[in-house]
Amino acid sequence: MRALLGKKAFLVLLFGTLLLLPFGANKYYVFAANLVMLYIILALGLNLLIGFAGQLAFANAAMYGIGAYGTGLLMKHFALPYWLSAPAGVVIAMAAGTLLALPALRLSGIYLALTTLAFAQFTFWVMTHWTSVTFGAGGFVPPPIDFAPLPINQEQGIYYLSWVAALLLYIVAKNAMESPIGRAFVAIRDRDVAAQSLGVDLFRYKALAFAMSGFYAGVAGALYCGMLGFVGPESFDLLQMVMHKGAVVLGGMGSVLGAVIGGTLLTVILELVKEFKFSIEIAFGGLLMLFVLFQPTGLVVFVKRWLPGWEERLHHAEDDGAERAPVAADGESRPQTQAGD
Amino acid sequence: MEMFSYLLATGISTGALYALVALGIVVIYKATEVVNFAHGEMFMLGGFLAYTFHVMLGWPYVLSLILAVLAAFGLGILVDRIAFRPLMQRQSLVSVLLAMVGLSFVLKGVARHLWGGKGDYIPFPPLVSPEPIMFGGIMVMSQQLVVLGAAAVVMIVFALFFKLTRAGRFMQATADNPKAAKLVGLRIDRVYMYTFGVGSAVAAAAAVLMAPLTLLYPDIGFMLFIKGFAAAVLGGLTSIVGAVVGGFLIGIIEQLSAGYIHTSMQEVAAFIVIMVVMVLIPTGLFGRRGMRRV
Amino acid sequence: MRGTRHVLAAALASALAVGTYSGSVTAQGEQTQGISDTEIHIGAFGPFAGPVYLYGKLVMNGVEAVFDKANADGGVHGRKLVLVREDDNCKPEGSIAAVKKLAYDEKVFAIIGGACSNATLAAVPELEKAGIPMVINSAVADAITDPPKPNIFSTQLTSSIESRAQLNYALDQGAKKIALVRMTDAWAMARYNPLIEYAKEKGIEFVADVELQIDAPDATPQALKLKASGADAIVMVLYAKPGAVMIRDALKIGYNPIWVGQTAINDFAAFEKQVGIPDALKNFATISAVAFQPTDPEMKPWTDRLKSLFPNDELSTFNMNGIGSAQVLVEALKRAGKDLTRDKLLAALGSIKDFQTDVYAGSITCDAPRSHQCNQNPGWLALRDGKIVRIK
Repeated sequence: MRALLGKKAFLVLLFGTLLLLPFGANKYYVFAANLVMLYIILALGLNLLIGFAGQLAFANAAMYGIGAYGTGLLMKHFALPYWLSAPAGVVIAMAAGTLLALPALRLSGIYLALTTLAFAQFTFWVMTHWTSVTFGAGGFVPPPIDFAPLPINQEQGIYYLSWVAALLLYIVAKNAMESPIGRAFVAIRDRDVAAQSLGVDLFRYKALAFAMSGFYAGVAGALYCGMLGFVGPESFDLLQMVMHKGAVVLGGMGSVLGAVIGGTLLTVILELVKEFKFSIEIAFGGLLMLFVLFQPTGLVVFVKRWLPGWEERLHHAEDDGAERAPVAADGESRPQTQAGD
Repeated sequence: MEMFSYLLATGISTGALYALVALGIVVIYKATEVVNFAHGEMFMLGGFLAYTFHVMLGWPYVLSLILAVLAAFGLGILVDRIAFRPLMQRQSLVSVLLAMVGLSFVLKGVARHLWGGKGDYIPFPPLVSPEPIMFGGIMVMSQQLVVLGAAAVVMIVFALFFKLTRAGRFMQATADNPKAAKLVGLRIDRVYMYTFGVGSAVAAAAAVLMAPLTLLYPDIGFMLFIKGFAAAVLGGLTSIVGAVVGGFLIGIIEQLSAGYIHTSMQEVAAFIVIMVVMVLIPTGLFGRRGMRRV
Repeated sequence: MRGTRHVLAAALASALAVGTYSGSVTAQGEQTQGISDTEIHIGAFGPFAGPVYLYGKLVMNGVEAVFDKANADGGVHGRKLVLVREDDNCKPEGSIAAVKKLAYDEKVFAIIGGACSNATLAAVPELEKAGIPMVINSAVADAITDPPKPNIFSTQLTSSIESRAQLNYALDQGAKKIALVRMTDAWAMARYNPLIEYAKEKGIEFVADVELQIDAPDATPQALKLKASGADAIVMVLYAKPGAVMIRDALKIGYNPIWVGQTAINDFAAFEKQVGIPDALKNFATISAVAFQPTDPEMKPWTDRLKSLFPNDELSTFNMNGIGSAQVLVEALKRAGKDLTRDKLLAALGSIKDFQTDVYAGSITCDAPRSHQCNQNPGWLALRDGKIVRIK
């Protein structure tokens, strides 16, 4: 009985269902399931950055967009096949992510949040204004993707590619966070001056955190491009960002498994909100607020309390002090302009 | 030369709007070290409330203005109670910001629900004759002069408030050193609460003044928040003077870059300023020195 | 404890597996999907929230008003019309999900709506695959209906029709130098490209081409540039808010050329208030897909019906667009007869000719299979002696 309720069983059930779903469900559920996998990937990547490394960045939707645009535009302009353009798109998104690590070295907290927000808005502006390359606000239709010699069409191909990517990226994130990398991330989050004095190479690990989240968002973007057969700027706006944040908070900040739960639930909730004709703004804004206020450690902690076998080796401590305060009363880790006066 | 003077004049008058928004952001930041992400929504709701009182219910302008400002004061306290106080005790800045982002979306959605069926962009009657008038050799909208004058009054009142009143000095003291403020017996919770109220009230006042020029719609808040934030950052985030100067500078930068470089710069200038200032001079023009480099 | 665990596990499993099975549908089933003896289910998709909810939610409210009236009159051949709304969030992933849900899960008979140009365009392949009859009532991009798709009709003026009309109007007014002020979103780009093409065709070069954002609180730089270009007519690819700011700031610098608007500014009376300066619009004319202003007495019955359904709302031109398109759909449903099938509806839609709605400026003619753009009649509104009148 225990084994049936453990997290392994949950993952087997989740990925098993996703694997078999296309054989039984109608097209709408298959599409929604594919979105589930995209959001799992996005939540995993963002959680590495916010939940583990404690870098409050607002540019995840922009990275997602850069991945989608990179992939689609390479196919459109240079007639590259998907299996070449998708990895290239991912690399571009990862590079953009790494670039954001530069301001992150000097800034934290609110300063970082709003600098990355400005970056995201700037990216959006480039998507709509660099018409000769991006086709502007009207978006573009990337060429169809051929999965030959496999006997599957584009829809099925992207679906199973997403499945493989989600599973692999979960395993990568889990292993990385259980390794010294994960401990370094958490050290940065909890007190970065201390982390530095303990010998954590801040530059390297902050850059790594940003690069990894850029990579994850880029993969989701490349899949998005193939899944929709249309790329336009409106998908990568502020609401998209709030949804990514929502997925992370919902599942549990600083928990790899939480990201899987969050990404899955986010999509389910999104479709339920639509089903009940409720306002997405109010629903997601409200959800974000309620979780931050009342269940700040996410659902994963809730599940852990009730089910055996859900322990993770590295997640933040059960007490709430884990998301270390840049506003700690001793002034040491207050936002940076404060110190020294 | 005519072009330059028009751009400059308009830069100053839109700059006054940004300065008022920045003022609210800075007041709250100074005391609490948190940027109120829902600040734009305070502006938006202030405007819609004044519209409800003045246009829908037909109440006098001044009364509507006062009521809207009072209501926004209350909303600010609500932000404190919902998104700030409970999370501050937990000492998590990430959570505070996320809660505020969530709140801003909720408020937008609620406004759309309440006023969204009344048409696309809701006009608000101006205080003065809507015709442009000659002023210093160029034509300006008289409402712009009203905004400029009113903005000056609000800014001066603010500066005096912090210098002269007890409440203002408490806020200042709390901002400078919360631990010491607590030790000497200040109830900093209460100071925080009033700070949120005051910051939001300024936004509402700005909204009532500006609504005839900007029109009202549920999504107006985010654009103003970003512009106001750019102004605040340029001024250093902790300085009232900085917010005002920053506001005018952003207004002027926007106008000049749109006039002399390309009209598309009007939209993106503020974002570029934020990125450049953050990376090159994170303390802004008037911010506190002695930044801890990490 | 064990009970709780069972429940949790079951809940997880069922949440994931929900609706994973659905029976296969025969071709015959698809033809009459969404029809019962008493009801016809019609889908709609568009945004409920976000900046463009006007083109989604408000238009759907108009559709609902028409369905409400048709049902009050006994329905269509005895069947009540039921509107199934889907939120597409104005995003491609939203619209594709909405179409899949309406076609394969809700199993509606036909769809009316399509608000955002990009989102609707992205859903076109899915709509074609599903073969579901679709009446577009808001999205303007030409590519949605050009070349014609067998199952997609539009009752909205498409962007190229309007763009041509705008330019022709400026020329008819004797403009020698024409300039352009535009937003840069998908809606504006769908108009911009045909506009540039048509200008080329006509051998016209715009003397200025400036951008104005939807949110801009001010348009002085744009006004100065337009004035400096010496343009005597300006084509506006703007929503009402930037449009009002544009005209106001041009007046401020003493510049009042011929302004040529389009359907996004079709509530003339509201636009006068938004500009807020008396007499500012004496050189302004705009295309209106609808023949009336929301305050006109002819609209009274619809105002009342809308108020009874949505007490908080005022009738807007967005509602009126929904009303017009829904009247076309209801008419086609009536003509398709009692033994309704998708093919019969499509045939009825394709053969609609000179049909007058209560709201549209011109009559509706779907010239299938040559053209599925059924609304070819831009109406014009302008001020004459301080009164809003229809011109031409």
